[in-house]
Amino acid sequence: MTLFGIAWRNIRQRALTSCLTALSLALGVALVVATLVTAGIVKQAFNSGAGLGYNMIAGAKGSPLQLVLNSVYLISRPIENVSWAFYEQFLPAENRRDGQAGTFAGSVKTAVPICMGDYFRGHRVVGTNAAYFDRLSYGNGQPFAFAAGENFRDADFFGGVLGADAARTLGLKVGDAFSPTHGADNGLVHDPFVVRGVLARTDTPVDRGVYVNMEGFYLQEGHAKPVEGVEPPEKQKPTETATGQPTPLPPEQREVTAILVETAALPGLPPELMAMGLKQAINEGRDGQAAEPIREIRQLLDLFVRPLELLLLLVTVLVVVVSAIGILVSMVGSALERSRDVAVMRALGARRGHVLATVLIEAILLAVGGGLAGWALGHAVVAAIGPLITTGAGVTASFFSTSPAELLLVPFLVGLAILAALLPALSAYRTDVSRWL
Amino acid sequence: MPPAVIELENVRKSFAMPGGERTSVLDIPGFILGEGEECALEGQSGSGKSTLLHVISGILRPDSGRVVIAGHDITRLPEASRDRVRADTLGLVFQQFNLLPGFTALENVLVAMSFGSATPDRGRAADLLASVGLSHRLHHRPAELSIGQQQRVAVARALANRPRAILADEPTASVDSAHQQQVIDLLRGACTEQGVALLVVTHAPEVARQFPRRLRLEDFNRAAAHA
Repeated sequence: MTLFGIAWRNIRQRALTSCLTALSLALGVALVVATLVTAGIVKQAFNSGAGLGYNMIAGAKGSPLQLVLNSVYLISRPIENVSWAFYEQFLPAENRRDGQAGTFAGSVKTAVPICMGDYFRGHRVVGTNAAYFDRLSYGNGQPFAFAAGENFRDADFFGGVLGADAARTLGLKVGDAFSPTHGADNGLVHDPFVVRGVLARTDTPVDRGVYVNMEGFYLQEGHAKPVEGVEPPEKQKPTETATGQPTPLPPEQREVTAILVETAALPGLPPELMAMGLKQAINEGRDGQAAEPIREIRQLLDLFVRPLELLLLLVTVLVVVVSAIGILVSMVGSALERSRDVAVMRALGARRGHVLATVLIEAILLAVGGGLAGWALGHAVVAAIGPLITTGAGVTASFFSTSPAELLLVPFLVGLAILAALLPALSAYRTDVSRWL
Repeated sequence: MPPAVIELENVRKSFAMPGGERTSVLDIPGFILGEGEECALEGQSGSGKSTLLHVISGILRPDSGRVVIAGHDITRLPEASRDRVRADTLGLVFQQFNLLPGFTALENVLVAMSFGSATPDRGRAADLLASVGLSHRLHHRPAELSIGQQQRVAVARALANRPRAILADEPTASVDSAHQQQVIDLLRGACTEQGVALLVVTHAPEVARQFPRRLRLEDFNRAAAHA
């Protein structure tokens, strides 16, 4: 019979105490694992917004963080709009009415406008153009892919695209129509748009969005910027162009919420320097501000998430220490109960090292058993709340979502268990054999 | 005279008392137990019988003198080596049998084997239990066994590592008179069959008189005689 077998027998002999010790360990570890994984997912949710194919956002002056949260993560309060003329400053000559390149066009590779303020059953509706999905990307420069259908075309004013989670939670598919509401879920109901495509999952905030052609967006009631002497489109006599679409809203009545900008990379000039120059140029003007999503998110993480992580780390350490104390109490009880057994084993020829090792193995078995059960339980909790996380944060949370820190948890627990068991193990080591026989 | 399995020479052992004085418990000029010999050692309570067994088995180290077990002078050995000599050459049977309560009969024998030099042999452990009539109780725990069956497991365990001698400390003290004879027959039978020397410590004359060699501790332990 090996020392492992003897230790296992000892655990089974005190089944109730051993189970309770392992259970307390498991609950502690489950708490830690669930917290670590969830924190990791939240962090991942923020980091996922940092690689969406643009490195700058231009919008109304105000809080750059709010601009980023609103435009990238589709959360936080809606922000003010900027004029169409400001947007045009990012466009090359061929895309402008006056045929002259915009002020910032030389520093811009791609500029995609977005218009916000509408909702559809809890999801933000984003008015944009086809370039959003044709020219931007996600992750490490991966192009957007469609799980069903395709991107809407710019000439298709009432076409729309749904993010993977939005399509799932809304139960919409290609060909279905949906009518956004103005300002809130219970706001004025707008004209219907038709789903042209459903995006494949990106694990970014894009998954939660409902995207519509901004030309159709502009034609909805309340979306035209009031201009003296010009009737809003909903009061105009309906007209159709040769393409069968309504007359687009004139540029002077248009506004955009933000402009997603990918800065140009000029030969011999580092992209960061280009971005810095563009940002400075925009911020010096009166029309709007520029924010760098990565910088803003890094600041947010430093301000809130990192301290939260430290707090979690502290909780983790405390939980694990409490677990170790549980092992200590259990092992001390075990050692006291088994002094006679230890004496008998010593009389049968067991060396002091044998009884020491047996107690330590027992503690390790409890730590590993409780730790693994807790690990599984923690992941089961994450899997159970996964749909909530997916809906709220836009990232997938499943049983197999992991956090690097949790890999250290069980080894750390085993180390602590050994430390905790050292005292009772030494007590067993020093058992006075002749006294107990 | 068969070769000695246990040999004591000028062995002295004393214990410190609460007041700081030392009380002499053992003072034995000489004692030898030969190979295959069966000996009963009688003594009153407190005469040092258990201390003597603990000194012979190396659990206690004498203050002076030599204790030689199967050729090993265990008084010169460090504790770990004494433990190994005890595991390999001596089998112990206790007054309360002292089976490990969480282990089955088979595992109690296997545990003893695991501390010896030889690899634990499940088959041999089962054979030993079968030889004491317990082949149908291999997987029962001590609490599920009768007193008589526990005695048998204790004897099988003492034989686990093919010892040269078995030391039995009052093996009949905790059983009724009906079981006393069973225990003695079992021990003597097993030792005879395996060619193992047997030293039984007892305070019961009816047990001692069954052995070919019968000693009174007071007769050769000067400390007990003085007390």
